Amino acid sequence: MIALIGNQNSGKTTLFNLLTGSHQKTGNWPGVTLERKIGKIKKNNLEIIDLPGIYSLSSYSEEEMVSRDYLLNESPDLLINIIDTTQLERSLYLTMQLIELNVPLIVCLNMKDLAKRKGLNLNTTKLQEILNVPVVEISALKKTGINELIELINTYEPKPYPQLSYYSKDVEKVINEIESLIDHPGKRFIAVKTLEQDEQIAKYETTEIIQIRQKFLENSDLTIDEEIAHARYEFIESIKPDLVSYDEEFNKPSISEKIDKVLLNRFLAIPIFILIMVGIYYLAAGVVGTYTVDVIEGLFESLTGWMEGWLESVGASPWAISLVNNGVIGGVGAVIGFIPQLLILFLLISLLEASGYMSRIAFTLDAVFRKVGLSGKSIIPFILGIGCSVPAIMATKTIDDKQEKEMTIMLAPFIPCNAKLPIIALFAGYFFPNNRGLITVAFYFMAIVVIGIIAFMLKKLAFKKSSTGYISELPSYKLPSPRYVFFDVGGKIWSFTKRAGTIILLSSIAIWFLASFTWSFVYTTNPSTSILRTIGDVLSPIFYPMLGTRNWGASISAIQGLVAKENVVSTMGVLAGLTEEAVEALGSNPTKEQLIALFGSESTSLFSTFTGLSAFSFMTFNLFSAPCFGAIGAMRDAFGSTKKMWLAVLLQTGFAWVLASLIFGVGTLIGVIF
Amino acid sequence: MHEQKRDYKIFSVRKSNSSEEEQTEINLANLANGQQARLIKINTKDQKLRQRFLDMGLTPGVLVTVKNIAPLGSPITLILRDYQLSVRKHDLTDLIVEVIK
Repeated sequence: MIALIGNQNSGKTTLFNLLTGSHQKTGNWPGVTLERKIGKIKKNNLEIIDLPGIYSLSSYSEEEMVSRDYLLNESPDLLINIIDTTQLERSLYLTMQLIELNVPLIVCLNMKDLAKRKGLNLNTTKLQEILNVPVVEISALKKTGINELIELINTYEPKPYPQLSYYSKDVEKVINEIESLIDHPGKRFIAVKTLEQDEQIAKYETTEIIQIRQKFLENSDLTIDEEIAHARYEFIESIKPDLVSYDEEFNKPSISEKIDKVLLNRFLAIPIFILIMVGIYYLAAGVVGTYTVDVIEGLFESLTGWMEGWLESVGASPWAISLVNNGVIGGVGAVIGFIPQLLILFLLISLLEASGYMSRIAFTLDAVFRKVGLSGKSIIPFILGIGCSVPAIMATKTIDDKQEKEMTIMLAPFIPCNAKLPIIALFAGYFFPNNRGLITVAFYFMAIVVIGIIAFMLKKLAFKKSSTGYISELPSYKLPSPRYVFFDVGGKIWSFTKRAGTIILLSSIAIWFLASFTWSFVYTTNPSTSILRTIGDVLSPIFYPMLGTRNWGASISAIQGLVAKENVVSTMGVLAGLTEEAVEALGSNPTKEQLIALFGSESTSLFSTFTGLSAFSFMTFNLFSAPCFGAIGAMRDAFGSTKKMWLAVLLQTGFAWVLASLIFGVGTLIGVIF
Repeated sequence: MHEQKRDYKIFSVRKSNSSEEEQTEINLANLANGQQARLIKINTKDQKLRQRFLDMGLTPGVLVTVKNIAPLGSPITLILRDYQLSVRKHDLTDLIVEVIK
């Protein structure tokens, strides 16, 4: 097994994709759930693993610990260390630790062309001489040097390389002493970590080692962790004059710095951010998005019509026609309709991420988020959440602090995702036709307020301990690689589509069955005699406090929302006996007339039991209660714990219930008084 | 687990023993945009935070320049070892420096 390791933003993933092509599978780490990518190098069929991007092998973050455990316990045959040449010192700091680990190593100098353009020339041969390991120049972006790298991998013969000695005499002596007591290829690294009293390394410590350390620390006035890091960096600084020469270019401000002068300007940063967000929303959910959704809906409409005609012509029974149109095409079509919108959204967000602007957003807003115990990096999941909670929850893995991360995982689904928009559109269109835009904006605003309140409450209740801080690299701006953006967007769209084809299809068929058959399994077109009716009746008391009446239809659609939020609308549609064409014709902006035509007037329809107030509280419940199963699954992965997932789901649903009931209760009270 | 209560506005000013010139030691959070300083020591008892500072290259003696300050005063971007690092103002109070320019 070959392992790929390097700093964040060093081009590691680009190289991985380049080496493996698109043939990669993902899996989970044992114990902690962190995505790990394994692939096969196309040219020699060797297995390669992509380790998380890290700066050091300390135990600062999960990523660091996971990578370190992998290197210590599973000893890869070969380690490829990719280095961003423009950030030599910090990159070599990791390399020094890998050398201490004594693993077979190849150093890959990436972005050397970029460094040259910045006025920094690096002598590769010299670096190879000093480190005693093979060094190869590549450009992952321009795909140069890859064949040389593969050639080097093919001909690589592991042979012991001499350890560099850069610690002070006293420290070196005690390291050697401890080393001699450890039986592991990476004993030098382990000895250093033992000296630093790294808790995660304790299993290698014997009483003798502890005694040696105690004796050393008592007689020394050094701050040992400082001493060790300092020695490594000092060594790097000392070899730098031999390695690097600078052009005049080097002292001029880079393009990145010039861009930051504007984008990170103290007064312009926030207005520019808002402008960009409005632009994204306009493109994805506004005019362009709506247009693309209409096109897809048109396609599905003709498909349904065509199917119905064909099924009738071959003499299919009414229930079969209903199954195909309402159960299958109806359920899946509602989800597929979102794909163009999501495509635009994912594309724009991918561009923001790849260009480096996303890190600037986190930087700009960190102080705001800190007030409620979140991180500036929480903004990324929240923005992604406008599209879909699943990628939003997945994006929380960039947050360093565990508590900030877990709070963000729990809060991200509160942002109304694309699938929740039809719920707002349906109810707002019916009950508040003249203020629909206002109601929609009100819900987004409410979401932000709710997130703020809950985060603040959790911060106070959950006993906020000291934060592991927000100490993160601000990467230079980069022109996004089309290849990266393509794979990123493609992957997200594919997983969304897969969900539509599996879980949503199944649940759609299940609800269709429950709604179309009576307890004696006779096909019926009247939902009020169906199996579903009974289930709705049983559950309706739960919704009484927010509806003021026992509405079985509303109960059922809320439960269906767990499968996929857009099902709240389609279930209402199915229950109202609508054909699929009718529901699709609604689009995302139905008019009051359309809705009355379909659902009947207020006195006769399914909505007859709703008032404006109960509709508003019901919407509130659907928006803030547990997200869909897809997002709940993503939450489980991100927490790495099923228990925490249940806790979060319970908290979300409980909160939504209380909030919805409060709105209804207070609203009714005001109605009674005035 | 920051033990001392910190105040951003008041900072101790004392003479540096090691230097011949008149230099003052202050914490990094007090630097203005564009100022350059040399790191003297890391003052936190939080082991993880210390390690992170060290790993990111904030070792004693390193030259640090304040580059950008976020609209609300925190975080602050530093330039060190040819790259940009952003750190919260609160955490910067742990870094004792001597101002160079």
